[in-house]
Amino acid sequence: MISRQSLIVARWEFLRFFKWKQQLISYLLMLGVIAAVALWSFFTDESRQQYRIAVPAGFAIDNTEQFQFQRPSISVEAQLAQLQSDESWHAVLTTSQDGIVIHTQSGKKWLSQLEQVLQQHYRKQAALGMGLTDSQLAQLEQPVAINTQYLDQSYKGKDTPEKMIAIGALLLLFIGLTTAFGQVLVSITGEKQQRVTEQLYAILTPQQWMDGKVLGHSFSALKAMFTSALVMLLTFAVVSVFAEKSLDLAWLDISVVLWLVPFALLGVVLCASFMGAIAASIDDPNNSGKGAVMMITWLPMLFTYLVIDSPNGWGMTLLSYLPLTSFAAMPVKLAMVELAWWQPLLSLLLLLATVWWMRRVAGRVFLRGMQLYGKEPSWGEIVRWALSNKAD
Amino acid sequence: MQLIVTAIGKAYASVQAVDKVSFHINSGDIFALLGPNGAGKSSIIRMLVGMTRPDSGSILVSYQSQHFDHVPRRLLGYLPEDRGLYPDKSIEKNLLYLAQLHGLSKSQALTEMAVWLDVFDLTERRHDELKQLSKGNQQKVQLIAAVLHKPALVILDEPFSGLDPINQEKVVQFLRELKARGMTVILSAHQMAMVEKLADHMLLMARGRVVLAGTLEQIRAQSQSQRQLKVAFSQPVSMAQLAALSSISRAEQVSQQHWLLSLSEPHSVSQCLQQLLALGELTQVEMQTADLHQLYLTAMAKHQPQPKPEVTA
Repeated sequence: MISRQSLIVARWEFLRFFKWKQQLISYLLMLGVIAAVALWSFFTDESRQQYRIAVPAGFAIDNTEQFQFQRPSISVEAQLAQLQSDESWHAVLTTSQDGIVIHTQSGKKWLSQLEQVLQQHYRKQAALGMGLTDSQLAQLEQPVAINTQYLDQSYKGKDTPEKMIAIGALLLLFIGLTTAFGQVLVSITGEKQQRVTEQLYAILTPQQWMDGKVLGHSFSALKAMFTSALVMLLTFAVVSVFAEKSLDLAWLDISVVLWLVPFALLGVVLCASFMGAIAASIDDPNNSGKGAVMMITWLPMLFTYLVIDSPNGWGMTLLSYLPLTSFAAMPVKLAMVELAWWQPLLSLLLLLATVWWMRRVAGRVFLRGMQLYGKEPSWGEIVRWALSNKAD
Repeated sequence: MQLIVTAIGKAYASVQAVDKVSFHINSGDIFALLGPNGAGKSSIIRMLVGMTRPDSGSILVSYQSQHFDHVPRRLLGYLPEDRGLYPDKSIEKNLLYLAQLHGLSKSQALTEMAVWLDVFDLTERRHDELKQLSKGNQQKVQLIAAVLHKPALVILDEPFSGLDPINQEKVVQFLRELKARGMTVILSAHQMAMVEKLADHMLLMARGRVVLAGTLEQIRAQSQSQRQLKVAFSQPVSMAQLAALSSISRAEQVSQQHWLLSLSEPHSVSQCLQQLLALGELTQVEMQTADLHQLYLTAMAKHQPQPKPEVTA
């Protein structure tokens, strides 16, 4: 089915863009940036510090871990002078007819936390004024537990780890297709610019050439998805360690992952074939607007994301069987809903047939495009070639 | 291998690129396609390779009792007019990739590569990236890429372009080596001096049509080029004396005693010599034969489009 020559082209294309040193450096840089952001957040976190707040003598408020309320015997003017000279106080509270005035040097993140403590204090005072006990007040502040019971037993629930897996799958597909987009465009138009194409035509058929290209760049895309998934898991593990929690991967549904792999593989091959066909019709990438059309391949992810909260709705059902979108929608649906085994299988078979057709289209467009010698085909010509049977 | 081309034609838009061109090539021959830019050489080559099909006429390639309507890929080594390789890859990687696509194993490819890199003095640079090489050296790498897999037929579109005279000579040696190895070679070129040394048969084209075809001798005969004699007299003779001779159509003084004389039809060389001896003693007589360059220019001059007459008010 796939010729030996196509496999040689695929290997060449894969290795051409596989710069492991650069990739390793970029991942290390990314981890470095994440670590730097985490460290910066840690060291600039004001909530872990203690603040001294001067309050009026009759202001009976309990200290918290973050705020120490002190009642100095000196005048308010003297307190403000101390605040001004950055001594003794982080803030000075005074009362007015409207309520409380917080005096401080400038805007600080912890001020909002102080406001919450003060609001809590005043609510408590008001409750005591009404004769409520502490437990009654706590009961009032307790939110009502609202649970939803889904009659559809197949629905796994909203805001569950399954939804996170689904969003993760979409994100990985986006990463894969972005990788393929760049590589296919650079590789095919680059070969035309470097005038390698005619030489290759004398060695292998346009279909063999296109199969090799698509396969090579699909592997690159899958590699990008795989390494991104590893980085995500690594980040999850690092965050778990920092949060002093045990590393729990029970949420990772292996059956969903096993379905995700063939859908992702075929989806990437389908999109890479489409991108290959478009790139093959571009003569000069600097003066062609056709490259932007390749971004159509991102739409299945967008459409799926828009209906992610209704995995049983008609929209998601349509997308999960439509071969042009099923590679994105069906794994998401699988992650969120229990499905009969034949449903993803049927979707996969339809996708497989479409991939087969699309690779033939890409081969035909490449053949005909090459015969134009420097002239860029119109959209009408591309459609005619796509629907014709000539492949060699 | 035998290749028979019969009255092929090819048109692009309103241009008739190839018009009823016929020729045949025998196994082991070096066949040259000659002609100015736009003569139709590359169009013929693309039809032979199978990239395009003739609108009319036929191509028949026979190899070991099999017949094809273009040169099959497995038999073909091709250097296209529009050519290039991967500039960010080394010579070795570029050649290895193309050789493996042709079906060679890695060890076979490396063995063949070593031979040809040595021929072109590129052994030391095999690990250099292609973009680090001069244009001439890149051209040599492309020539190697076309023959690494030992094809039965090699088609080289402008193999001498971009090369200095020393490297052009190397390509001549390269083509002789291909012939010695039994390969059939089709080449297109402008460098007549090179082609003259090599080609067994040639086809001169202009504006899509065949102007002259055959071996160099056959082309000379077809072109009916003027016979010329280079002579030297012991004593000075005048232009008027030479112009009076019936066997001389044109005389050109090269030096004080040397003359280049064109013979007029139907006089023979011996008749001309008799008339010249009557003028004085000859110290040198040399028959001048038109080279391919002259034949080419003469033939092309005959086939240039006639200028349109100026219209005056």
